Amino acid sequence: MILLYDGSFEGFLSLVYEVYYEKLQVSSIVKQMPDTLLFERFHEVFTDEAKARKVLEGIEKHFSKEQQRTMCHIFLCDTRSHEMALLEYIRIGFKNPQELRNITNASLFYIQNLEKELLSLVHKMYGFTRFEELEDGTLYAKIETKFNIVPFLGEHFCKRLGNIPFIIHDIKRSLAFVKNDDIREIRSIASFETPNYSEEESQFKALWKSFFKAAAIESRYNPKLQKSWVPLLYRTYMSEFEA
Amino acid sequence: MKLTIEDKLSLLASSAKYDVSCSSSGSENNYKTGELGCTHNSGICHSFTSDGRCISLLKVLLSNICIYDCAYCINRVSNDIPRTAFSPRELADLTINFYKRNYIEGLFLSSGIIKNEDYTMQLLLQTLRILRHEYRFNGYIHVKLIPGASKELIEEATLLAHRVSSNIELPSSKSLALLAPDKTKEKLLSPLKYARDISLQQSTKPISMSTQMIIGATSESDFEILKLSSSLYQKALLKRVYYSAYIAVNNHKHLPVPELSKPPLLREHRLYQADWLLRFYGFSYDEILSENQNLDIQFDPKTFWALSNMHLFPIDVNHAPKEILVRIPGIGIRGALKILQARRFKQLHFEDLLKLKISLKKARYFIVAGKDFYRTTSLYTEKIKLALIHQGSNIIQPSLFDRSIYTGEL
Repeated sequence: MILLYDGSFEGFLSLVYEVYYEKLQVSSIVKQMPDTLLFERFHEVFTDEAKARKVLEGIEKHFSKEQQRTMCHIFLCDTRSHEMALLEYIRIGFKNPQELRNITNASLFYIQNLEKELLSLVHKMYGFTRFEELEDGTLYAKIETKFNIVPFLGEHFCKRLGNIPFIIHDIKRSLAFVKNDDIREIRSIASFETPNYSEEESQFKALWKSFFKAAAIESRYNPKLQKSWVPLLYRTYMSEFEA
Repeated sequence: MKLTIEDKLSLLASSAKYDVSCSSSGSENNYKTGELGCTHNSGICHSFTSDGRCISLLKVLLSNICIYDCAYCINRVSNDIPRTAFSPRELADLTINFYKRNYIEGLFLSSGIIKNEDYTMQLLLQTLRILRHEYRFNGYIHVKLIPGASKELIEEATLLAHRVSSNIELPSSKSLALLAPDKTKEKLLSPLKYARDISLQQSTKPISMSTQMIIGATSESDFEILKLSSSLYQKALLKRVYYSAYIAVNNHKHLPVPELSKPPLLREHRLYQADWLLRFYGFSYDEILSENQNLDIQFDPKTFWALSNMHLFPIDVNHAPKEILVRIPGIGIRGALKILQARRFKQLHFEDLLKLKISLKKARYFIVAGKDFYRTTSLYTEKIKLALIHQGSNIIQPSLFDRSIYTGEL
């Protein structure tokens, strides 16, 4: 049976509830109605807060803090269809928590690797995110990433930017982490006008570019190695790679 | 002519680039509410230059003015190059502005010797004081200890920085006398020893220190180099030794001629591989090499070691402990951990190892997994060598006329 849900975490928990209580045989889980359906039974799960809460309570009781964190992390990998593996993870966890460490199980190994992939992306973006200073002193960064890592970046930069207000804007997901003296939250961004940059901004960008150029050793020139460390897809908002 | 700040930065970054170290790791999270900067335990790379090296720190010299005349160095006093210096204030402001924009993890500050050692060390410290006390900056700071600077100044540096270092430059006293007449091994190591002692008095965790050796400028064998590194690690003096393939920037009668030599990059790579074996894989230097030997160019150090110790193989991946698993060519720390985790649930065969994304390209010749072993190649050194060469794993083919890439000499 194919299950359809709305893509939200609550929606997924409601789905888990129905799978358990109505003993559904699941063949795949989708967020959008497929174009064609051939001989396959189809069921739409509606997000239900009471059901979601019930499942959440069960998870909180049966899974360790670390395992709960893993589930949240997997859910942030929103461009991968991870739902079947996650459902399997929950099933195994309820049955026998010891078994969750068994990476010879394909679903569990998939989950472990996907989490690693997410965390390594997060680590890369800790370094590759670039802020620009706006007129009012706010630091503004644009990102486009394959997974939703805004919560990680927000927390990370709260620690290092002291009292400076900042915004991390996920262009594709229309999300932003906003921090200033009063707020510290993730918001959805409906529309956004290009802001004005501070007077010093272009000067520091130029300084950074000349530092970047000067730090390379010509006789060790190795663009292939450079590309393997910073694949082109990360370079969109990194000023040192602008032509 | 007055230089703009951009000219200065280009010049002084370009003079500092031969320092290899750019690590910003190993410091516990030191977050303080409302203050700028915080270190990250694993270190963070912020960009990679066109030579494929990482930029983590703003690596610059405070000044490229120098009273020394070291043969291998681009900034030696006898070179006719433009000279300049940052003021401590300029440099501190630059650091803060780069940090805010997340260009860098912190500052790596070194300098040529202006006037004398103490004067130079004072200027470096002045920069650090502005950053730490005035701007309340908690980001990573790596500062070079100037050999010959007085003890009080070195003590202050260990208090202000996350890491201090002093470069050994050349692997033996003989080479130093030949190429860097103003420096001796004792003079270069003494600030490190002193820094360790005072930081040990103040806390249980000594300040992290590193050094750098130039490879291929002089005639030391890899055995001598690894022996030296290993003794520095064992005395808990250093966290890291960096190896820097010699890049000819000057003409000198005791050095390879610049036009004819390329940096010995593969040798440098092999040394780093061997260095990893020392630090993380439980090897000792005399297991990796015997007296006056150089590292093999064709095979990586672990494969080379395995090929010369066939009596220890094959290894049973279902039973061997971790310290033995990591000695299998082609299996690293991560692979070993995956094996340990997975074999609690089932007996592992080749198929399972592949499913765990463990490459068997090299490892298959050296292991037994359940009933599986690699039947087509028997367990003889020569046969495995041939098979490895045939499949071309991790072997860089030397082109006929290009031997210099390995040795730095023609």
